[in-house]
Amino acid sequence: MIDLRHGWNLSFKPQFIGFILSLLLTVSVYRIVTHHELTDSLLTLTVVSFCTLQALIQLFFFLHLGLESKPHWAMITFLFTLLVVVVVIGGSLWIMDNINYNLMPPMEH
Amino acid sequence: MMTHENYPDPHHDTYSRTIFGFWVYLMSDFILFGALFATYIVLQDSTFAGPTAHDLFHLPFTFFQTLVLLFSTLTAGLAGAAAHRKDKNKTLLLFSITFLLGLLFFGMQLHEFSQFLAAGHSWQKSAFLSAYFTLVGTHTLHILFGLLWIPVLLLPVYREGVSHVSIRRLTCMRMFWQFLNIVWVFIFSFVYLLGAKIT
Repeated sequence: MIDLRHGWNLSFKPQFIGFILSLLLTVSVYRIVTHHELTDSLLTLTVVSFCTLQALIQLFFFLHLGLESKPHWAMITFLFTLLVVVVVIGGSLWIMDNINYNLMPPMEH
Repeated sequence: MMTHENYPDPHHDTYSRTIFGFWVYLMSDFILFGALFATYIVLQDSTFAGPTAHDLFHLPFTFFQTLVLLFSTLTAGLAGAAAHRKDKNKTLLLFSITFLLGLLFFGMQLHEFSQFLAAGHSWQKSAFLSAYFTLVGTHTLHILFGLLWIPVLLLPVYREGVSHVSIRRLTCMRMFWQFLNIVWVFIFSFVYLLGAKIT
């Protein structure tokens, strides 16, 4: 992202590679969802993994994350932020799931 | 004695420091969107007898919107490279295409919002709709700020060509736009694709 020595700042090529890969992923995940051929949980898994893969591709080819030289500040700040986001989202889902469970009316029998 | 060369510091100049500072801003935006995504995922089933995600979203429309934003991200990336090459004409042309496609994306999003509102599905209807409008609305606001930012940066390029200051600012702009596209990939997947799946 920061280091100029790789020449990626000047190059059109990584942008095209990232675009083609993203386009392929977007079109295929859209086709998979609209064709209703997968079971529910498998479909969710597919959408989530295609999404994650596309995010990683764009971080690398578009934002050039991981190309900087030591001490890798961009990567360190990214990983720390990712940790925070995982805790926020995972924690929220976990807490709300527990609340829903504990607020269920008691079973009759 | 250790010489200075033993400690290579890539953040020595204004360019690198600015780009890194902007990257840290993007990371804070990442946390903001993470919190909004957490809210949306928790509340997406709380439709309060109102419309569900499956009832509301029209996938082909949003799919086209996604392609428009992806293409505008490509031209933004190419424009960033053109700026580094000090190619004034390509920089202006490619960033203008980004601007126009961004405007189309913004218009389509407003169209979708206004359709929901016209049908009575406002953010007051249910927790699901509140979370939807907050998450997607925040992304749309970011796009709007990007649309205001591009002409401001392009004017000096048009007048005086690509300067060092312009390269630095246009690189921040390019990163902002690419970051917004990544956020949109998550919105398209989690809100629209998975929402349309729920029956």
